[in-house]
Amino acid sequence: MKLLVVEDEKSLSRSICEYLRMEGYICEEAYTLKEAVRKIADNHYNCIILDIGLPDGSGLELIRLMKESKSTDRIIILSARDSLDDKLTGLNIGADDYLTKPFHMAELSARINSICRRSDFEGLNELNFNEITIKTGENEAFVKNELLNLTRKEYDLLLFFMANANRIITKESIVEHLWGDNVILTDSFDFVYTHVKNLRKKLMAKNCRNYIKVIYGFGYKFCDS
Amino acid sequence: MKLLTRTTYYFLLYSMIAMIAAGFVFYYSIRSLVYNQIDDSLITEKTIIQDQLEETDTIPDFAASFGHLIEVKLLGKPVSYSQTIKDTVLYDSKSQVYLPFRHISVSGSTHRHTSYSINIYQILDENQELLDRIGIGMFLLFLTLLLLSLLVNYLISKNIFKPFFRAVNEAAAFNVLSDRRVELTDTNIDEFRQLNMVIDQMTRKMRSDYINLKEYNENFSHEIQTPIAVIRSKLDVMMQNENLDREAINAITSINEATSRLLKLNQGLLFISRIENLQFEDTIELSLKNRIEKCIDNYEEILKLKEISIELDISDPGIVRMNEILADVLISNLISNAVRYNIDGGFIKCLLDNRNITIINSGYPLDINPELLFDRFRKNAGNTQSVGLGLSIVKKITDHFGMKISYTCSGSTHEIKIQYRP
Repeated sequence: MKLLVVEDEKSLSRSICEYLRMEGYICEEAYTLKEAVRKIADNHYNCIILDIGLPDGSGLELIRLMKESKSTDRIIILSARDSLDDKLTGLNIGADDYLTKPFHMAELSARINSICRRSDFEGLNELNFNEITIKTGENEAFVKNELLNLTRKEYDLLLFFMANANRIITKESIVEHLWGDNVILTDSFDFVYTHVKNLRKKLMAKNCRNYIKVIYGFGYKFCDS
Repeated sequence: MKLLTRTTYYFLLYSMIAMIAAGFVFYYSIRSLVYNQIDDSLITEKTIIQDQLEETDTIPDFAASFGHLIEVKLLGKPVSYSQTIKDTVLYDSKSQVYLPFRHISVSGSTHRHTSYSINIYQILDENQELLDRIGIGMFLLFLTLLLLSLLVNYLISKNIFKPFFRAVNEAAAFNVLSDRRVELTDTNIDEFRQLNMVIDQMTRKMRSDYINLKEYNENFSHEIQTPIAVIRSKLDVMMQNENLDREAINAITSINEATSRLLKLNQGLLFISRIENLQFEDTIELSLKNRIEKCIDNYEEILKLKEISIELDISDPGIVRMNEILADVLISNLISNAVRYNIDGGFIKCLLDNRNITIINSGYPLDINPELLFDRFRKNAGNTQSVGLGLSIVKKITDHFGMKISYTCSGSTHEIKIQYRP
């Protein structure tokens, strides 16, 4: 999987890449619009993470260029929180997803994961972790082909965990993932705690091992060890 | 009391005092004039009678014809000459009252040594009349003055004070949030011109200060997002390191919490300033019922987990014209507050009728006046998790759409009521 991060804030760009490389992606960087245009012309990327505010132009131009050249590269827009219009325009002209800055890496990773799944395993839409399978098309999760009876939030949580398997994810990023950023106030971690507890209970009832590890101070890690 | 009323009041008060004083002066001067005249006529009559006596030594018989009460007596014994003029009263048997008279009393002897006494009385009924006339005159004068000053008052306030009232109204209508300039009337009265100038300068200054401050805030909030994004991304990367010791983990956790807090603060403030900047102006007709149900749906599982019972009493679709985002934020802030600050096994009641949204929930008693929680950064004691912007955002939204909001708390029951329709 090859990704391109188009972001003029070098420090941010570098840590995005560093994180995504840990996830096993091949990650390239572009700091300007010009650089991005050149890289896109020469390479095929599975997903482009695109900042709208670039020093030499708007990221939206890049989307237009790509659509003109019938590029099939997927695009995730990174936008500032108060530029709602950019977000809407971006989606209208062909971006696949958007994320407002600042965001959690786990969230970005989950979005990339979801987009790549959609594009590369057309019709399959499956996510696996040992005996657990999630069929994203049907919004269903299975343990050894046995349907898991999950609530909507538990399902979302499991998907989020599995998209970020073997990574530490913070309680905050879970809150934002489950309740969205519209709910400015929902920062109560009790909610996460109870959902995690229930999800774990349901998985273990199906004889799964305890994959959800509590990581002291940080949050959780979905891993097999 | 109006300035003009007050000045008129003093004007009338002092002119009344002046008129009373003038009345007294008039009265006494006119009275002395009248007395002089009466005295003169009394003396003239007396002189005529005296002359008669000198000539004939008999009481003249025409004496009564003067129309005055005249009493002439011849005395047996000689008297020395004396003459007095004074006020006196005589009993009038006809009307049975004492009447005031001017009285000249003379006694003396003729050259033929016939002693006599003359008493002439002139009734002073004109005196009372004079007093009445002066009184009435003064009263009429005062009345004229009153009417005149009311008229002048009216004309002044209508014309001369026009620029002043205009300036006052404009200053009162001035709103630093709107860029409508104050419009003042030109005037050639120095004081008013000065006032206009001051108001104009002041409002311009306020507006430009406000804009500067707002721009500063916006720029700050906007620009701070990138560094926060950098910090957050670095933390996310750092956390993945498996060789961190406890100290490092604690430090990262603290930094992460502080960053989240900073971010939430910033997002909240940015959101408020976006409402103030009228960036949520496109409105649609939406149903509050749908929004509430959707929002509660989002918390369904948490409600179950916290064993909070929820009761919906919706008797109206609650169609209202609002911005969609603001409506969602409004509802979700209210509901999430009701969930977050609830107790395990508590309750939430959500009522919607054709005028009000009311959310009643159990919770903890408040230490402060609940209405104060609408202020920015105001929190109940002991609540360290919240940044204290949720309810001020709610207030901002309700203010923006001209809705009334109230927060009451009795014991551990909290009630927020929004009148979304007048």
